[in-house]
Amino acid sequence: MNERLDVITALRQVLAFAKRDFRDWRTYKTQVITQLITIAIGILSWAINATYRNRPVPEYDTDYISFLVVGLVIGNLVMPISQALERRLNPWTLENIIMTGIPIPIFVAGQIAWPYAFSLITFIPQIMIGILWFGVTLRVDPLSTFLAFVVSATILLGLSMISIGFRLVTKSTDPVTWTINTLQQLLAGISFPVQFLDSFIPGASAFSWFLPQTWVYHLWRLSMLKAAPITDPAIQLEFLKGSVFAVVLFPIGYRAFRWGLNRAKRDGTLGWF
Amino acid sequence: MAWEQVGGLREVFARKKNFVQALNKVDLKVYRGEVFGLLGPNGAGKTTLIKILCTLVLPDEGEAYVYGYDVVREPSKVLRNLQAVLGDPRGFDWRLSARQNLEFYAALYGLPRDFAKSRIEGVLEFIGLRDRANDMYQRFSTGMARKLQLCRALLLDTPILLFDEPTAGLDPASAIDFRRLLKDGLAKSEGRTVFIATHNMWEAQSICDRVAIINKGEIIACDNPENLRRYVKPEKGYVFTLDEDFGHSEELRSFLSEVSRLEDVKGSRLEPGPPPKVMVRVDKDFEISDLLELVVKHGLRVKDLESYEPSLEEVFITLIRGERYEREA
Repeated sequence: MNERLDVITALRQVLAFAKRDFRDWRTYKTQVITQLITIAIGILSWAINATYRNRPVPEYDTDYISFLVVGLVIGNLVMPISQALERRLNPWTLENIIMTGIPIPIFVAGQIAWPYAFSLITFIPQIMIGILWFGVTLRVDPLSTFLAFVVSATILLGLSMISIGFRLVTKSTDPVTWTINTLQQLLAGISFPVQFLDSFIPGASAFSWFLPQTWVYHLWRLSMLKAAPITDPAIQLEFLKGSVFAVVLFPIGYRAFRWGLNRAKRDGTLGWF
Repeated sequence: MAWEQVGGLREVFARKKNFVQALNKVDLKVYRGEVFGLLGPNGAGKTTLIKILCTLVLPDEGEAYVYGYDVVREPSKVLRNLQAVLGDPRGFDWRLSARQNLEFYAALYGLPRDFAKSRIEGVLEFIGLRDRANDMYQRFSTGMARKLQLCRALLLDTPILLFDEPTAGLDPASAIDFRRLLKDGLAKSEGRTVFIATHNMWEAQSICDRVAIINKGEIIACDNPENLRRYVKPEKGYVFTLDEDFGHSEELRSFLSEVSRLEDVKGSRLEPGPPPKVMVRVDKDFEISDLLELVVKHGLRVKDLESYEPSLEEVFITLIRGERYEREA
């Protein structure tokens, strides 16, 4: 392959992954139908649940259902970036794909392309139902939201590549990602503001801010619930703190991925799982 | 003819790990347009060596290169000159058709769309899969899957093709077809360099211009099959099929006794039959006229006479058991 990355070729390579995955997905007709039904039922379920428990969320000047909807936004617009890469890693095909000589960034982007597109497609009706049916109120600052996307996507991509780097070597789960993901359930503020933790264990929320995922949720909620302008110095500081995780984790992730790949190549286990 | 070297390994080591068979100071040269065979028992290091050339396994020491490009430092350049058909038919999406799978790989290879389209049709035609190109991959037999792997490897039109156990799992007829494709289609007609790793001696003997024998991670011999047979087992043999009356005759016993005293005869034995057969192993330079004189002298009636040379399999076994081979072509 030419030393200089041809952008059009690179895009075509990423699209080739998406096209392959889409073609594969649509052959599972039952799965397509059940996936769509699952999504619809899922929307109703959390919306009814949230309505039942609805209460104010003063940390973001909003109500609980709107708070949860932003979680849904993150789940559809950001999480697929990391989840798709981890789930679609298939060592049985890895050797053949590597033998095509495609660069690692293209491989990563290609693995994500279709799951992300699918997630985006299913997200639109979900957010529409949230707004039109359940009266979700979003106060969005577009620039902050865009930056939140960039920062959170970088954080999650970094974490995901660390995970894959380990998995290429261990062939199963990796302890780093497992720890982070497990702690996330409790500490990252997925379904409640992290400050609420302090009412159970005083000072517990302080630990939350050391978790990268906490910043993913926090920055999105600031941008979509409080219309936090990036021109505000206080908001800039929040974004800066989140960006530290992104700046640290992304290069570590890339190095971990390369390390895992080279280690698997040296061990001769690239095609093994 | 001056052979242009297209690839090789220089003092390559790969330490023994869970899945990598250690290679120990492997030196090997492969030349343009030849069919090169790497022979070895299971676990000898054949697949490790092939995967090093494919950039899928990193050597611990030494150099491996393809057209001068280092497999560790310049893998993308190596892969523009070399593609491989590895053991199991993997890497295809089983819910897509053969053509769709090839379209995917053509895009990854960076082939322009129109060119990719014609290239895909071309390789499908060349390999003989065009009629089944729209079938889902899951419906493919082992032989067809192997052919589709070859189609994928041919998409990039590289001058070197590597095969790991090319006919493993194929029925005899498909295996013959596939060998013909390697030897006549790829090497002879298209001038590509074909490198195969196999433990099928007959396969190596029938299609390889040169073979290297690898055992426990070391190359213990490298030459053309003819030379290997000549120098490792420098002998040949004759089989006399006799008239049935001679099975236990005095003339036959006397004949065998005199044969064993001839210079350059390495051994003889009788198979009582029927029909009785006398096998005589002789030095490779032995003149058969001496034997024929004894046949006439003892009045044996010979119904048939065959000569044979040691097979590559015999050579292989001799070498694997520890005999040294000093000569190299």
